[in-house]
Amino acid sequence: MAVEQIVRDYILENYLFTDDQSALSSSDSFLEKGIIDSTGILEVIHFLEDEFGIRVEDEEMIPENLDSVNNIVAFVANKQAS
Amino acid sequence: MPQTLVNLLSASVKKFPDKEVIIHKGRRVSYSQLWNDVCHVSRYLQNQNINAGDRVGILVENSPEYIATYYGVLAAGGVAVGLNAAAKARDLVNWLNHCDAKWLFVQSTHPELESISQVLNQEINIVNIGEHQSTLALSSTNWNGIVTQPVVTGSDVITDISDSSQPAAIIYTSGTTGKPKGVTLSHRNLVANTESIVSYLDLCERDRILNILPFHYSYGNSVMHTHLAVGGSLVLENSLMFPQKVLKKMEEEKVTGFSGVPSTYAILLSRTNLKDYDLSLVRYMTQAGGPMAPASVERFTSELPHVKFFVMYGQTEATARLTYLPPDRLVEKLGSVGVAIPGVTIRICDEKGQEVKTGETGEIQASGENIMLGYWNDSDATRQVIQDSWLHTGDLAHFDDDGYIFIDGRSSDMIKTGANRVSPKEIEEVILELEGVEEVAAVGVADDILGQVIKAVLVVSPGASLEKRIVQAHCHKNLAQYKIPKFIDFVSELPKTSSGKVQRFMLQEHN
Repeated sequence: MAVEQIVRDYILENYLFTDDQSALSSSDSFLEKGIIDSTGILEVIHFLEDEFGIRVEDEEMIPENLDSVNNIVAFVANKQAS
Repeated sequence: MPQTLVNLLSASVKKFPDKEVIIHKGRRVSYSQLWNDVCHVSRYLQNQNINAGDRVGILVENSPEYIATYYGVLAAGGVAVGLNAAAKARDLVNWLNHCDAKWLFVQSTHPELESISQVLNQEINIVNIGEHQSTLALSSTNWNGIVTQPVVTGSDVITDISDSSQPAAIIYTSGTTGKPKGVTLSHRNLVANTESIVSYLDLCERDRILNILPFHYSYGNSVMHTHLAVGGSLVLENSLMFPQKVLKKMEEEKVTGFSGVPSTYAILLSRTNLKDYDLSLVRYMTQAGGPMAPASVERFTSELPHVKFFVMYGQTEATARLTYLPPDRLVEKLGSVGVAIPGVTIRICDEKGQEVKTGETGEIQASGENIMLGYWNDSDATRQVIQDSWLHTGDLAHFDDDGYIFIDGRSSDMIKTGANRVSPKEIEEVILELEGVEEVAAVGVADDILGQVIKAVLVVSPGASLEKRIVQAHCHKNLAQYKIPKFIDFVSELPKTSSGKVQRFMLQEHN
């Protein structure tokens, strides 16, 4: 399954509690939309590390990397390429 | 004339008209600009014939508009009702109806606005804040139409408060749909707690705090009032989701103060390197909202040894603050919440109301000018917690030989998650709405970051089938995010006493 779909499914299931794909746009800001909070993002990071075998460094914990499905997809791709 | 928060702000405006008071999302607002908006809100409400004591809901994220509205309502003689912007329509409608709000100032992009406008009392006046075009069922006024009027002048724009015991604010806290708990605070309550906190934190006009605490919450509310009262500045960041961003902002804005709850400091310790940031100007940090592990306090203070770290304790029913641990006693009295703040008296009593001896555990009771008037329209609930002018906190503690207070636990079933008090009954009544649920009990289970998270234990009817996700989806629709049970267990029966009372402590072990 593509990274985008895996991440979408995880967010939908664990933070929106639905499998309705229309409930989340891949460009939605988790912060602005109130989807994830400061402890939720820690769970998302654990998920990304387990699922994709990457390590998210403290300094990488920024909106540009983690604040939407699209940002996460790009971030994971960069991490896997490096 | 008695002192009020509006008078305290007015004095800061006169002393520092051009000084920055709020920094938020690239906007820098001066005291005179803030005061201009406060006066416009007050004049708008006066023109709308607000009566003394009319309630005004504020459903706005932390922003210059929130502050201007709050103080504008007070200036007009109204009662400011700051609402949790993360709450769902169910709670918001319940609260607004419970206090019979006559106005609602709301962000036009609020996700629940459409839902609440359809069921709210048609008499309510809506003021929309933001560019988003309104499609509401109710008629509304736009914020820009209020604050861009010609400059408001005249002393009559500020309504005189002759009796400082009159209600000034309501804060909704851990109630249920049937029994919302609206902590009602007077002008005197707010001023007393503000002046006391200013005194022990030694706040002054040079202080600039980075604030992430929501203003509708008593702790955030106190951060707002104290810094405005001294002519200080508020740098607003509305989340700790990206802690590096918050620390960077602290560095850039040269802040002198920071306030957080235990989970705030747990996140900063686990996901940042504080030494990577220039926090040399930070003078004080405060912690309240539940117990913080002594080891975390030690670790944090060792990373920032120049910072005075204030461990504090309080309740919404006490406006915000009841005790603080003087930083110079922090190491010696680690684990203590300190001593009563100026103007507050604390005693610890047994179940018969007798003060206990040093070292013995009893309930914390408090008196002082900061103790609430009571719960809005609920004299029975008020009588349960305020007796002979003493607030019965429900928190268990003991004094040590030097009179320092150590919290030992709580005497109620209330869940405390990430500094939020949540009534188990509120969770249970929502879950019981689901078909097939026979019984349910909600409890708090230990969590490293949040202190507690919520677990719901369900008994379903024979033949009924229910999945975890359906339960959580129903909660998500009706409850704020922090109230959604993280864990859902299904059991054949709940453990009970011989009299049929659920033994919640037996459910608190997490499987």
